[in-house]
Amino acid sequence: MTDATSNLPRPVPGAGPQPKSLLTVDARTRRRNAAEKRFRAYGILAIAAAMLALAFLLFTILRDGSSAFFQTYARIPMTIEASVVDPKGNRDPAEMAKTLTTSYNRILQDSLADFIKTNGIAVEGLDDDDLAGFFSGQARADMRWAVLADPSLVGQVIDVPVLTSSRVDGMFKGRVTRESAALDGKTSVAQFDLAMALADSGHLKTRFNWDFITGTDSSDTRPESAGLGVAIIGSAYMMLIVLVLALPIGVATSIYLEEFAPKNRLTDIIEVNISNLAAVPSIVFGILGLAAFINVVGLPRSAPVVGGLVLTLMTLPTIIIATRAALRAVPPSIRDAALGVGASRMQTVFHHVLPLAMPGILTGTIIGLAQALGETAPLMLIGMVAFVTTYPSAPPQGLFDPASALPVQVFNWTQRADPAFFERASGAIIVLLAFMLAMNLLAIFLRRRFERRW
Amino acid sequence: MNNMYLAERTVHTQAQPIKFRCSDVQVWYGEKHALKDVSVDLQDKTVTAFIGPSGCGKSTFLRCLNRMNDTIPVARVTGQMLLDGDDIYDRRVDPVQLRARVGMVFQKPNPFPKSIYDNVAYGPKIHGLARNKAELDGVVEQALRGAALWDEVKDRLHESGTGLSGGQQQRLCIARAVATAPEVLLMDEPCSALDPIATAQVEELIDELREQFSVVIVTHSMQQAARVSQKTAFFHLGHLVEYGSTDDIFTRPQDPRTESYISGRIG
Amino acid sequence: MPPFWIMIVILGAAVLGYALGRGRAVRAVSGNTRLLHSRPNYYGWNVALLTAVPSLALLLAGVLAQPVIGGEDRAPSNGGVFAGVVLVVALAGMALALTRTTPAFRARNVVERVIRGMLILCSLIAIATTVGIVLSLVFESLNFFRLYPWQDFFFGTEWTPSFGGGSELGILPLLWGTLYISVIALLVAVPVGLFAAIYMSEYASKRVRSIVKPAIEVLAGIPTIVYGLFALVTVGPLIRDWLAQPMGLGNSASSVMTAGLVMGMMLIPFVSSLSDDIINAVPQSLRDGSLALGSTPSETIRQVVLPAALPGIVGAVLLAASRAIGETMIVVMGAGAMARISPNPFEAMTTITVKIVGQLTGDNDFASPETLVAFALGLTLFVITLGLNVFALYIVRKYREQYE
Repeated sequence: MTDATSNLPRPVPGAGPQPKSLLTVDARTRRRNAAEKRFRAYGILAIAAAMLALAFLLFTILRDGSSAFFQTYARIPMTIEASVVDPKGNRDPAEMAKTLTTSYNRILQDSLADFIKTNGIAVEGLDDDDLAGFFSGQARADMRWAVLADPSLVGQVIDVPVLTSSRVDGMFKGRVTRESAALDGKTSVAQFDLAMALADSGHLKTRFNWDFITGTDSSDTRPESAGLGVAIIGSAYMMLIVLVLALPIGVATSIYLEEFAPKNRLTDIIEVNISNLAAVPSIVFGILGLAAFINVVGLPRSAPVVGGLVLTLMTLPTIIIATRAALRAVPPSIRDAALGVGASRMQTVFHHVLPLAMPGILTGTIIGLAQALGETAPLMLIGMVAFVTTYPSAPPQGLFDPASALPVQVFNWTQRADPAFFERASGAIIVLLAFMLAMNLLAIFLRRRFERRW
Repeated sequence: MNNMYLAERTVHTQAQPIKFRCSDVQVWYGEKHALKDVSVDLQDKTVTAFIGPSGCGKSTFLRCLNRMNDTIPVARVTGQMLLDGDDIYDRRVDPVQLRARVGMVFQKPNPFPKSIYDNVAYGPKIHGLARNKAELDGVVEQALRGAALWDEVKDRLHESGTGLSGGQQQRLCIARAVATAPEVLLMDEPCSALDPIATAQVEELIDELREQFSVVIVTHSMQQAARVSQKTAFFHLGHLVEYGSTDDIFTRPQDPRTESYISGRIG
Repeated sequence: MPPFWIMIVILGAAVLGYALGRGRAVRAVSGNTRLLHSRPNYYGWNVALLTAVPSLALLLAGVLAQPVIGGEDRAPSNGGVFAGVVLVVALAGMALALTRTTPAFRARNVVERVIRGMLILCSLIAIATTVGIVLSLVFESLNFFRLYPWQDFFFGTEWTPSFGGGSELGILPLLWGTLYISVIALLVAVPVGLFAAIYMSEYASKRVRSIVKPAIEVLAGIPTIVYGLFALVTVGPLIRDWLAQPMGLGNSASSVMTAGLVMGMMLIPFVSSLSDDIINAVPQSLRDGSLALGSTPSETIRQVVLPAALPGIVGAVLLAASRAIGETMIVVMGAGAMARISPNPFEAMTTITVKIVGQLTGDNDFASPETLVAFALGLTLFVITLGLNVFALYIVRKYREQYE
């Protein structure tokens, strides 16, 4: 030791804490503690901001979307006038089919007018347009189908719930007020008053709207009858394809990379590839789907099979990363034990390692599926924005039928002119989030139930 | 050989004022009662060694002395620990101020990923010990000289501290602790990660540090305790079994447990 | 016969083959299975695999090649022949495997080799995907550049596509919108996400962490279409009514600000969970060292932990940037469709992804530059994000190695 101990530092006089009682906090420490508090506050502020944003997002979605699950129906006696629906009077369905849907509007309109007259409802300035526009365009189509299916209804008075137009529906959801009705070309103050009068007498009721969940999409002018059925089936088909393809392929890839792959160039390339694929923008996968599956292979546009393939490729990295983590979590001692009793490496993996890793794999798969369920952009490129009003048939043929998908349906509805579609879009989001929530809860349940700590 | 060391050391040993007065210290980690009824008075300008088998509570007690246990959420400390008469666990005490006066060196060298200069200057900067750059340079140089590192690093003060050898890193950490001008220096097995030559250097340094500080060192090595300390405390299963001059502990242990440990039967 | 039914038949044959192969092996040693080289199941598997694998591969090849060979009308004329060939291959495989089923036959080794081959094949799909992406982008991009000069694409400042011809297809206004929105998103997400991560890893009690962490993960699991709707319906009008119009800076609900804010919100959990990992990777010994010198926790974080974690955090920010650049739905619904270069964040602008969607949805004419430009845009996007990712992953890996 060449250094002299006398060089040890001594406090520089006049600076810093002099040795004094610990029980008093000096000014500098007080300043530093204030800075500490500020810093901590920034952290709390950041978390609060994130939580608040999340709460606000969920709040607006629920506020805007929950009303989509309820719909207003009129319940007044409808007289199926034979002169309108069956001018020839022979009750022949083939003949009756020639009567167009628009003609049925007469029945609705006349029945409503009759009802107003017989019940003595007095509404100022009510004209034919208000009566004609009171019911949904879907209501006449429904009535026509009902009559064609059962010709004995002709001439009868039937009492069924009849779907009202989106404007009338909006009056009970706060979307249409008496003031806004006056400015709206598609409704009127008189129609508003009529609706209120009918509601007061109990002939106009808002009830749970199953058609929103099971029904098909509808045209721009009938937001009140737009439903998610086709989109839900489309999404379900795609999830099925993703599950059937991505899970085995992802697990096989992970097993190979984790348990068998030698350390060489090819393995490195695969690994780098997977981590990069995980970060490729989803829209690029859409381009791949369009160029490869539709243009080159010749699969149909708007078909769940193409969407499923694209989503499979997108989900693979997620599943592979989760599966590899699960495989890695199985301790080497298990492998040694199996190999020690003479099992081959393949038997070790399939008999011991894989079953132990299964909970982790399933959790990763479900999370990957949930991601795929919410993916929108790539599906738009492969034509799933198309307007589809027929349910796809059962698989396997149904996989090639045109369909929609939940998130794409949301986007589709936001692009429509009628503001009533915004309610539908938000409602569809609630359905989408409910599915995702269910999947995530399942994942959490699996993790809790089967998780092993080594 | 041990006895030679001891003989040499006793010459320096003299009664010093009490720096730390600890009585009835208890520590719980959650449900675990890690330290039981420890009462001990630590002298100023003296090297005190804490010895004992693994898990005996010696490191736990060391971490109580500058309230590093505060950083462990489940740790709970009761009892009295007076530094120059002030209870360091008093509600009014700011651990930040306490740690400026009670420095600590850890088992594994932990230099910050900064330059050698910035490592040493870190403490003085946060405590405002230097009014300008020149003063700070002075403090850094003094600390590095104090840690017997100056000659080795004076030409590369702005290179990374993590690039030094293990022994150099540990001396850098000592310099870093010394730079804040503490009164007490706690060392938690400071040589356990070092090779014998680096260990010898650090031990020599500890002896020099005694001139200015009260040094408390936790060690696994009885030889090391014998070489560097004047006072020794033996811990076993959370109890302070025996405390006295190093000479006495190693040559005339009072408690059979101490005797067993010294002679290698337990531990 | 439709391919689906051929597949079912083959699988049925494989099951049959399994039973036959297993039975034959057991019979060959008259029930004393110890005399077999492998367990009887492996003989069954051997037959089943040899039945199904070659024939299914042929079937798949046939289905994929169908549009190329058969043209538009899906060629029903030679469909029957094809199905026959596939089934013959399946039966031939079964027969071959059965004749090889003798007690000395190393069935397990063969089966395991086949399985291993299939595992390798599966892991090659990742490479195939990348190759597919690159090929489809490059191929159509080349077609585009044959129709439209690349200088005008990369350096053009006008974006006015018209399907009648005479389009200006300069990428710069799109790039401007993309980068502008991404910068705003990062300005929101990085401070909030980073501070949230710091608080979570350095200050929060276990209980707070157990509530906040899942909530932040929920934020991460929300699909981007939800954020898009939020931008369109809520944030856009709010910004227009409370910021843009009072300040006289514009009256469009779709704006760079709308898209940027909402995208920032989307990126918060991404930044925070990455930063959380990275901050946790900083060894505890450094924190102890700093605290023991008498620094406050915040001084420790700012002067020791963050500098030590800086490379990792930079990597995380780059990954977030790459996400922001490639994000589609939020900008489609929140940013607008006007291609322009303007410094005013309250004006509607557009991005590369918006235009890819715009040019490729609806009826496409794959001979016109207005459609093909989407592939050139996609290629540009792919190259930018890939570059950012590779760089970011490199930094993060280097950082991790430092503390391992």
